[in-house]
Amino acid sequence: MIIIDVYQTPHTRKTLNCKPLKSHHFRDRKEWADIEPVPQDDGPSPVVKIAYSEKFTDVYNYFRAVLKNDEKSERAFSLTAEAIELNAANYTVWHYRRVLLQALHKDLREEMKYITAIIEDQPKNYQVWHHRRMVVEWLNDPSEELDFIADILSQDAKNYHAWQHRQWVIQAYNLWDGELEYVEQLLEEDVRNNSAWNQRHFVISHTTGYSEPAVLDREVQYTIEQVRKAPHNESAWNYLKGILQDRGISAYTGLLEQVQELQKANSSPYLMAFLVDIYEDMLESGGTSQEDTLNKVIELCELLAREKDTIRREYWRYVACSLQNKFGTSRGATRRFQQIQSC
Amino acid sequence: MAEDESSLAEFEQVDFLKDRHVRFFQRCLQVLPERYSSLETSRLTIVFFALSGLDVLNALDVVDKPSLIEWIYSLQVLPTEDQSNLGRCGFRGSSHLGVPYNPSKGPGFPHPYDSGHVAMTYTGLACLIILGDDLGRVNKEACLAGLKALQLEDGSFYAVPEGSENDMRFVYCAACICYMLSDWSGMDIQRAVQYIRNSMSYDNGIGQGAGLESHGGSTFCAIATLCLMGKLQETLSERELNRIRRWCILRQQSGFHGRPNKPVDTCYSFWVGATLQLLDVFQYSNFEKNRNYILSTQDRLVGGFAKWPDSHPDALHAYFGICGLSLIGEPGLRRVHPALNVSERAFEHLQQLHRTWREACT
Repeated sequence: MIIIDVYQTPHTRKTLNCKPLKSHHFRDRKEWADIEPVPQDDGPSPVVKIAYSEKFTDVYNYFRAVLKNDEKSERAFSLTAEAIELNAANYTVWHYRRVLLQALHKDLREEMKYITAIIEDQPKNYQVWHHRRMVVEWLNDPSEELDFIADILSQDAKNYHAWQHRQWVIQAYNLWDGELEYVEQLLEEDVRNNSAWNQRHFVISHTTGYSEPAVLDREVQYTIEQVRKAPHNESAWNYLKGILQDRGISAYTGLLEQVQELQKANSSPYLMAFLVDIYEDMLESGGTSQEDTLNKVIELCELLAREKDTIRREYWRYVACSLQNKFGTSRGATRRFQQIQSC
Repeated sequence: MAEDESSLAEFEQVDFLKDRHVRFFQRCLQVLPERYSSLETSRLTIVFFALSGLDVLNALDVVDKPSLIEWIYSLQVLPTEDQSNLGRCGFRGSSHLGVPYNPSKGPGFPHPYDSGHVAMTYTGLACLIILGDDLGRVNKEACLAGLKALQLEDGSFYAVPEGSENDMRFVYCAACICYMLSDWSGMDIQRAVQYIRNSMSYDNGIGQGAGLESHGGSTFCAIATLCLMGKLQETLSERELNRIRRWCILRQQSGFHGRPNKPVDTCYSFWVGATLQLLDVFQYSNFEKNRNYILSTQDRLVGGFAKWPDSHPDALHAYFGICGLSLIGEPGLRRVHPALNVSERAFEHLQQLHRTWREACT
């Protein structure tokens, strides 16, 4: 992910190939002669100083000047575009551009085209996505958003900014219709797309909810079908657990048996972890054959530790110890002694 | 568990090039080429990565502390003479607005668009602490007023008073600011806690906000915030904590990734590693595979670390790669405070400062 903007792949700007014959610097333009440019001032010992070209320095010296004067003009508006081209991560330039969009009553639909082009070029820039949200709000028109975001997602199906903007626009403008279908299309393209699974949960929890048995059954069966096709998929198993865990995953009729059946054909560490969770839920719920269940889950943890999920060896042994401490009896412990000596 | 000889030999083959990384951070502190222009407004965060990185590497002696302290103080947005800008106070990321250089001596310079940024206030204060400063020139009341102005009704924070996106990153920045200034009046804690709870995902990780995909970065921000507040146990039940532990421990693939089914990335060795540490289960992760991955992203020529092997290093991944190694006890590295994200040494200086403040009040 991205911390502020320091996720630091330096942006390569696409510049024109032609070189101007004479300087087009603002400092040489007659129509800007009334402005005194404002330089950056880092004092005697600057740190992390960026070595700007003359052109870059010139544009920003003039931007700093109009900003300080709070100048509201067309030339200031054009200047923001030049400043953005050089550094689209400067949030002050974007803010000032918004001030000018309103003060000069600029065409917001033209602005949307401008924004679209920049996001297509820099889809992980925070400032331009925020700017888009502001303009959509001013227009009160989300009609282009879902298609636009779908296009961005077609280039990177897990772009967090895109999904965040998508959730915002759907929720703010009630655009739930068709989103489940969109999610299913993405899951068909890549059943391991965790963002799509998250969106599935987002849509259903905000529309039908999961309380209705018809919905819950449909979702459980859909997910089981996906793990059948691709067993080594954490996202699907997380979804299955997620939609059942608040009701108690051992409470869902026939689930344990379905999962045990799956285990024969295509196991995975996620399937086994799911079984651990079912057994743990059974222990939490009390009931009969506690000792038998405890034995099973400890054996499962040991199998995960020893063979099926060895990178988490120490963790699965810790889980076994915790379960033993919580649910074990002294009589049972003697028999399990060999497996959990280290508790 | 006893290690056999062959796995010990594996450990020793991947060597940590400490001196290269010291030089890498030193170069970061000097001049960067124009292609790094997108970092202009967040230069102070780069200073933080370099200084905290050098601190963890036990190499802070290579920097000119007094002039760094002056430069950092020149980034403070101070109240103007008429105090009309209190809600905009804090620290800037750089001199990009062209406000005249003023190392926090005298009132603020009136400017229609000058304001602090929550991540720069956080990293500014952290840098001062790392450099051994006593925060004597920090206008605490102004910083806290500026912070208060950034919190939304849902408990999250903007980055700047003019408005911006709001998410878990800035909740964490706000918590660090309050923690370092030892003053939580800068935020409504209950609302912030509510925002965190609302950001818990169905899969037991934590997203940037309600409904959003759970993520290693936001999970760190949320858990570290609760720890800084001293409210981890009060906010999350043991069952919830176990579920978050499970989500986090599943992020390890070799190194760590930030979301299920995404590629691993060096920085998550810290984001997820530190979270596991705060939840008392980092010891159950696989240190060897984690270390091997981090070192595979080391740039043996220029120093630093990248997110992936054979990629360009940058200050962020260099810093978090080193912190990731510190968590597993790499020799020669200082320990890192997993919630505040500074060395234990810097943390102890902060604690001493707090003691001084308390004594001054009695």
